[in-house]
Amino acid sequence: MNLRRLLRPLRSRFLLLIPIVPALLVACNKEDAQSTFGTSGPIADTQASLFIFIFWIAVVVFVLVEGALIYSILKFRRRESSDDSLPAQIHGNNKLEIIWTIIPVFILIAIAIPTIKTIYDHNGPPSDEGPVLEINVRAHQWWWEIDYPGEDVVTSNEIHIPVGQWVNFTMHSDDVIHSFWVPKLAGKLDIIPGDVRQLAMKADEAGFFFGQCAEFCGEAHAKMRFRVKAEEPEEFQNWLDSMRRPPVELVSDDAMAGQTLFAANCSSCHATNTWQAPAARNERTRLAGLRTAFIGNIEESAVIPAPNLTHFATRATLGAGLIELNSENLIKWIADPDDVKEGNRMKDLAAPYRNNSLSSDDVRQLSAYLLELKPVAADAVMEPASGGATGGTAEERGETVFTGSSGCSGCHSTGSDALVGPGLADLSSRSSDAEIHQSITDPSAVVVKDFPDSVMPQIFGSTLSSDELNDLIAYLKSL
Amino acid sequence: MTTIAFPTLISRPTSYTGLWSWIGTVDHKRIGTLYGVTAFLYFLIGGIEALIIRGQLNTAENDLVSPEIYNQLFTMHGTTMVFMVVMPMSAAFFNWMIPLMIGARDVAFPRLNGFSYWAFLFGSIFLNLSFVLGGAPDAGWFGYANLTGNTYSPGDGVTFWALGLTILGVASLAASFNFVVTILNMRAPGMGLMKMPVFVWMALVTNVLMALAMPVIAVALIQLGLDRVLGTNFFNPVAGGDPVLWQHLFWLFGHPEVYILILPAMGIVSETLPVFSKKPLFGYPAIVLAGAVIGFMGWFVWSHHMFTVGLGPAANSAFTISTMLIAVPTGVKIFNWMGTVWGGKLHLNTSMLFSLGFIAMFVIGGLSGVTHASPPTDAQQQDTYYIVAHFHYVLFGGSILGLFAGGYYWWPKMTGKRLGETIGKWHFWTMLIGFNLTFGPMHWLGLNGMPRRISTYAEGMGWETSNAIATVGAMLIAVGVLIFIINVIRTMSSKQKAEDDPWDGRTLEWSIPSPPPAYNFARIPQVKSVDDFWYTKHPELLHDERGEQTESAAPVEEDTHGGGSIHLPSMSYYPFVVAIGMSIGIVGFMDIRADIPSTDLQLPWLSVVGIVVGMWGLLGWIFEPVTAEGGH
Repeated sequence: MNLRRLLRPLRSRFLLLIPIVPALLVACNKEDAQSTFGTSGPIADTQASLFIFIFWIAVVVFVLVEGALIYSILKFRRRESSDDSLPAQIHGNNKLEIIWTIIPVFILIAIAIPTIKTIYDHNGPPSDEGPVLEINVRAHQWWWEIDYPGEDVVTSNEIHIPVGQWVNFTMHSDDVIHSFWVPKLAGKLDIIPGDVRQLAMKADEAGFFFGQCAEFCGEAHAKMRFRVKAEEPEEFQNWLDSMRRPPVELVSDDAMAGQTLFAANCSSCHATNTWQAPAARNERTRLAGLRTAFIGNIEESAVIPAPNLTHFATRATLGAGLIELNSENLIKWIADPDDVKEGNRMKDLAAPYRNNSLSSDDVRQLSAYLLELKPVAADAVMEPASGGATGGTAEERGETVFTGSSGCSGCHSTGSDALVGPGLADLSSRSSDAEIHQSITDPSAVVVKDFPDSVMPQIFGSTLSSDELNDLIAYLKSL
Repeated sequence: MTTIAFPTLISRPTSYTGLWSWIGTVDHKRIGTLYGVTAFLYFLIGGIEALIIRGQLNTAENDLVSPEIYNQLFTMHGTTMVFMVVMPMSAAFFNWMIPLMIGARDVAFPRLNGFSYWAFLFGSIFLNLSFVLGGAPDAGWFGYANLTGNTYSPGDGVTFWALGLTILGVASLAASFNFVVTILNMRAPGMGLMKMPVFVWMALVTNVLMALAMPVIAVALIQLGLDRVLGTNFFNPVAGGDPVLWQHLFWLFGHPEVYILILPAMGIVSETLPVFSKKPLFGYPAIVLAGAVIGFMGWFVWSHHMFTVGLGPAANSAFTISTMLIAVPTGVKIFNWMGTVWGGKLHLNTSMLFSLGFIAMFVIGGLSGVTHASPPTDAQQQDTYYIVAHFHYVLFGGSILGLFAGGYYWWPKMTGKRLGETIGKWHFWTMLIGFNLTFGPMHWLGLNGMPRRISTYAEGMGWETSNAIATVGAMLIAVGVLIFIINVIRTMSSKQKAEDDPWDGRTLEWSIPSPPPAYNFARIPQVKSVDDFWYTKHPELLHDERGEQTESAAPVEEDTHGGGSIHLPSMSYYPFVVAIGMSIGIVGFMDIRADIPSTDLQLPWLSVVGIVVGMWGLLGWIFEPVTAEGGH
């Protein structure tokens, strides 16, 4: 049987039935926050246009194949149920076999060439488009730790990048596999624990882009989101600078009460002090220490790496890009984090939730404090590192340091109870002045038995002035 | 006759009816029925899981189920549909049809066949018991390390998963050896490999793939089990293990597994399309070759599941090329099926509708597959609903529709009754429309940035409408399944008998009574050509179309066994006993836990019991003659 005879039914009639092309692209709303179309950077642009290219090839094949199928169903269906005669018995056609083997090969070559070119184009930032901004990303169940190496800036869950400059994300995972995905800027890349991944991208326009973890990573995977804020270079530089300025003075009474609560209950996991360069440089070590402490005692640990909250009030979202940051949402979050984001560890670990001791006043005060956490204006007089108390006795000034933003009381009780660190009651009978001094400024030198190493930050030697240190030691000896 | 004297541990079943006759059965048809019924029950369970998932995702910020339960549901939905529905449903057709289509009286190892089924049953029950024993597995059907480690999955769920799948793997391995040997050794005289029905060919490829792929997942599951139970560190990055190793092992199994799931359905439509087009299969050698090539090339594409893992541009480029190449033999199959339909006289009954629906939907799944065979586009699509849409077009639009085509086609042979046609068409159209409503919008959801495996999503992402449509579609699929169940009940309670050859069939199973007698063929047929039964009915066509001179393929009056008596293997309880022993032996490892200090490591007593029972059963099996004294 030759090809012409085989195709004769086609000649006699037109293809009356035009199969419906899937209305995918027509229905598309490029404005949707995570749409992979209407992209805002060269990587995502190329990925989208490569998809469109392959898509139209697929549409043509789809129309031809499905059209031929529907045509032959209509054309060759048995019309009389009593018709038992046999159609021509054709066993095959070698010419056709060759044709429909070769044609797809050419189509696939046409797809493979731009594909492989793009794979290599997207392998890192281009070398000829100016300096590359390096940003470290560390994924945690279920939030993102962000730092800007060389800039002494640490933050979490909201990544600021400059428009028009290539950014290279160096990504680690602290626990399981995650995947970093900002659809408007670039396709995703998995982050493998124990390994490192690099992902380069550039934003061509300013915007507040949605990101989301794309690899299933456990209970709260659906709520492991983030944002990328692309802003004009000057604005970006302003933001970097602001992240290194001290916080404004607290104004409301609630906020001041909240500060004390925070220092006592929250600061063992959440840092608010990385506007200080030493604290910023130490933040990774501190979080790694918390991680070691958590992994070493999963059942009972009171600490775990937690998002950095420095200048928290300048952010737009809360709970890893989950909800808008405002007083109402923040109160809801602090009152019952599990209700907002099931699976997150705050409620399991933090003492006030465990002891059921968190009052609604506490929640309001904590929220007020966090919402006042913002940097002083650029022209404001630089304050000394720690909001130093000047009056009173050395012990009184030392107590202020202990309960204040240095956060000692977040981990140490003044009684004999062990929190994250040992209780400090009766310290003077155990340790000399020099030993206490060493334990504050170089905590890894001697670690109390049964307490994990490297949990206590190595920063107090540089964040505390020598006066403050002396006051603090005086206070500790009085316990 | 002298036999080694060995005490009879348990006597054989004697009655051919009742519960014990099912437990002791070695008849491939009965075992096929057991597989089919069990797989269908799991299809309902997996479907209910899917409906709850769709209910949860119906609206933004929904709280029908907690994330904890949601994660269990999507894990078990995937695990169930792959390992407890499509694979055993294919095994049901293999069991029923391979011996009938190759002119054999049973499979090569009838007792091993029984063992396969019972091991499958116990493994699957064990896995599902996790729902009531402290929580089902919740780390995804793909079980990516190191989320599956004790640190991140502290409950027993993942241990249930690892041990349960190990049992299912043993069942699949035993079955695959059995079918490969059956196909290679037990064909009727004259049936050369290139005269086998295409369904048998695809069964051969599938079972070779299974025999080679199951050991790979077994290795991975044993490593995972050891990590969890004994505290080894195969996948623990903190101790130098490698979570990506799991992905390589899983997908090195997982991609051949995709073909294990689809090739049986491809085999089925290669039977139904010629029968209902009244034409021989177009390009029989091309379809067979394409199937074999797919089976071979299926081993070289696994990393396309890992394009976003960061394996580097060279690996991604290589796997792009191999992945695109595998589209070629797949296309060859589709074109040949269309060549079969072209110029035919199509009987558009339910089985044919499902077969044509298979082609139409599989084409969509194949084309969407090409769009993410390209790593740069896959970087946007990987782990989104676009992928969910893609593989449901392949596995539901492909495998499930193909299996329903086979169900309607072979129902009269298996039961002696024909499923209702009018209600069958209702079943087809509800399911086809429901399927497209469910999974069509998911393409768009994925391109619009909705990740997979998320238990909830925010308002205002542009995902609400598509999700709501998908939920309606899922309910329509459920209606389709209900219609099918009604059809089965009505058919089976009706008195109307089907003819032995209701479709004017082409292959040997239609030459014997419906349902077939226990011995299948009173006389083993002598095969002269492909579609031998058809040319027995139409001897004139052999000359006409082939242009080759062949003698008439009249049945040959010869029984290979000689004489009038047909020897069939006798029933035995031992396969059941060994399957129980093995399953308990594996389940016993639940007893020990890595997070209990090693000084407390207790002997897994349950495993000891299981091994003793299994060994006892094996001894009985070995010393029990295949055929009872004087048994027929």
